[in-house]
Amino acid sequence: MNTPGSSPLQRLRRELFASPLDGLISLLLIGFLLAVGLAVLRWMLFQAQWAVIQANSTLFAVGRYPVDQQWRLWLLTSLLALASGLSWGLLRRLPHPGPAWPRNDRLAVGLLIALAVVAPLALQLQASVQLRWWLITASLITSRWAAGRWGQAIPPALRRWIPLIWPLLYLAGMVLISGGLGLVSVPPSEWGGLLLTLLTASFAILLCFPLGVLLALGRRSELPLLRGASVLYIEFIRGAPLITLLFLGQNILGFLLPGGLAPDRVWRAAWVLTFFAAAYVAEAVRSGLAALPPGQLEAARSLGLPMPLALIHVVLPQALRVALPATVGQFISLLQDTTLLSLIGLLDLLGTARTVMANPAFLGKNGEVYLVLAVLFWCCCAALGLGSRALEHRLNPLSSPAQA
Amino acid sequence: MTSSTPSAAAVMIEARGVEKWYPNGFQALRGVDLTVHQGEVVVIMGPSGSGKSTFIRTFNALEAFQKGSITVDGMALSDDVRNIDAIRREVGMVFQQFNLFPHLTVLQNLTLAPVLVRRRPRREVERQALDLLERVGIHEQAHKYPGQLSGGQQQRVAIARSLCMEPRIMLFDEPTSALDPEMVQEVLEVMQELARDGMTMVVVTHELRFARRVASRVVLMADGEVVEEAPPEQFFTNPRHERSRQFLSQIR
Ligand SMILES: Nc1ncnc2c1ncn2[C@@H]1O[C@H](COP(=O)(O)OP(=O)(O)OP(=O)(O)O)[C@@H](O)[C@H]1O
Ligand SMILES: [Mg+2]
Repeated sequence: MNTPGSSPLQRLRRELFASPLDGLISLLLIGFLLAVGLAVLRWMLFQAQWAVIQANSTLFAVGRYPVDQQWRLWLLTSLLALASGLSWGLLRRLPHPGPAWPRNDRLAVGLLIALAVVAPLALQLQASVQLRWWLITASLITSRWAAGRWGQAIPPALRRWIPLIWPLLYLAGMVLISGGLGLVSVPPSEWGGLLLTLLTASFAILLCFPLGVLLALGRRSELPLLRGASVLYIEFIRGAPLITLLFLGQNILGFLLPGGLAPDRVWRAAWVLTFFAAAYVAEAVRSGLAALPPGQLEAARSLGLPMPLALIHVVLPQALRVALPATVGQFISLLQDTTLLSLIGLLDLLGTARTVMANPAFLGKNGEVYLVLAVLFWCCCAALGLGSRALEHRLNPLSSPAQA
Repeated sequence: MTSSTPSAAAVMIEARGVEKWYPNGFQALRGVDLTVHQGEVVVIMGPSGSGKSTFIRTFNALEAFQKGSITVDGMALSDDVRNIDAIRREVGMVFQQFNLFPHLTVLQNLTLAPVLVRRRPRREVERQALDLLERVGIHEQAHKYPGQLSGGQQQRVAIARSLCMEPRIMLFDEPTSALDPEMVQEVLEVMQELARDGMTMVVVTHELRFARRVASRVVLMADGEVVEEAPPEQFFTNPRHERSRQFLSQIR
């Protein structure tokens, strides 16, 4: 730490201006970046007209979801915030307590607060809506704090069940969004915007993962029929562009699935996304399986573990850890691929944007709309990437504090 | 040691005329016979590629064979999955490369199979596992991960992991070949103690001192066949076959 030349300024100097040529390149790059940054900033502040976003913020968020039922989405968002805060806090404290507020966490909280203040103001939301966002942010941070403070007190027998919150919340969310159990039904045709994008993406991500694992195992199976079928499926899906599969799905999925299950257009698209991503996840998992020394399975089997137990307890935990980065990469492209839904006429984020831009009142405001879209997608993908890195770190036995 | 009256003790492994072809058509075993009685320690030696690993891996069905028969602890090896799992529960195996599960702690490596396969209560298995770790001298490392141990320690954990299933037979496939020389002895000592406690063992190894001191019989394999089978004293001082003499002169 105290070695000479380790202050930030000195380090900058050493890294950017080590030699005259390095210095020249650095200067040119800095100048270029400054020019681009300033131009974008000037456009954002003085030229762009954000009225198109402000007037349509609800449309971008949830599409044509009925106004009198939108409280259900607010409720869901609050529950999600609470669960996120809880998980975040518990992950920091269990099973081995780290510092209560590491630097990254303080940074994240600062960012959340800034976002909660700036975003509603910039969008010029009504006071009541602004207030809701502030409350949601506050509950996220509070539950993070509470979980960090009292997480240790949860009895170990109970801890194992905590992750179940998420599947339960997902099911509850499905009910809240689509209705049933006494709630007015809101058909998928009325979902839109970010809601539809996140819903189809999360549905596909959740289902394509187990499907992909099964396909990868099938591909390495000793049963020739199973192996052949898996290979055929994977290679067929990977050889076809998603957009053709989406159109195909709209046309034939209705025939393939039995009557009651024949889903409407949104669910058809979600299933196609799932089947599509599963093939790519299978390839990621296969590389994880291939990286595992064969001695691992032999050792498990020679201890008397039957094949399914050997897979669950020995092979998959190791293979999936290796496959995790590539798998999350697939999830991220899946999220971006949801924009193709707009091409089959669904009002996902991009589809909504296209209807807004087609409105004569907002003609020529494409730049503003696309910039917001890009930022929204970037945020979602960054969240996925961060989550995966945290998971990777946590799953690595040699980086967990357990060894101390 | 029971080797003085082997025929009186129960037969634990009986291999008759075992022949094996690998999928590429190569015949690795050409009619191998071997009988191992309870409490015996049989050491298998032979040049590289002679089929030693292939042979002992047929005992717990890690390798299939096409001709002949193998009976382990009274159960005839068949293709039936349940029969195979039943035999594997009674037969422990220690590998050259340890094959510990790197994502589990040492203690979890030991308790995994007894809890899942034998369905014994976790508490009880953990107590037994700690006892076993103490026996092989790595009691303090129970909560470390395999990657944090030396090779010799890892191999001792692997032995303890097998013992935790309370097997009636232990198979060792070159357990010390991947170890640095200074760690070989600690593993051999554990194995020697195991033999003294009456465990039935089949050991593929080229450790002459171990074979001399511990083995009931030494078996020499070459080109997929058993060439010579003799008590260690006779095998090392006065081998009957030319092939044995050749082999001994190479490793000495
Ligand atoms: N999967 C396989 N496919 C084809 N041939 C194989 C396979 N495994 C082993 N063999 C061949 O079978 C023969 C016996 O192999 P095995 O591993 O049993 O020998 P070994 O006596 O254990 O040798 P080493 O001392 O090198 O371990 C060798 O010639 C080897 O090349
Ligand atoms: Mg071998």
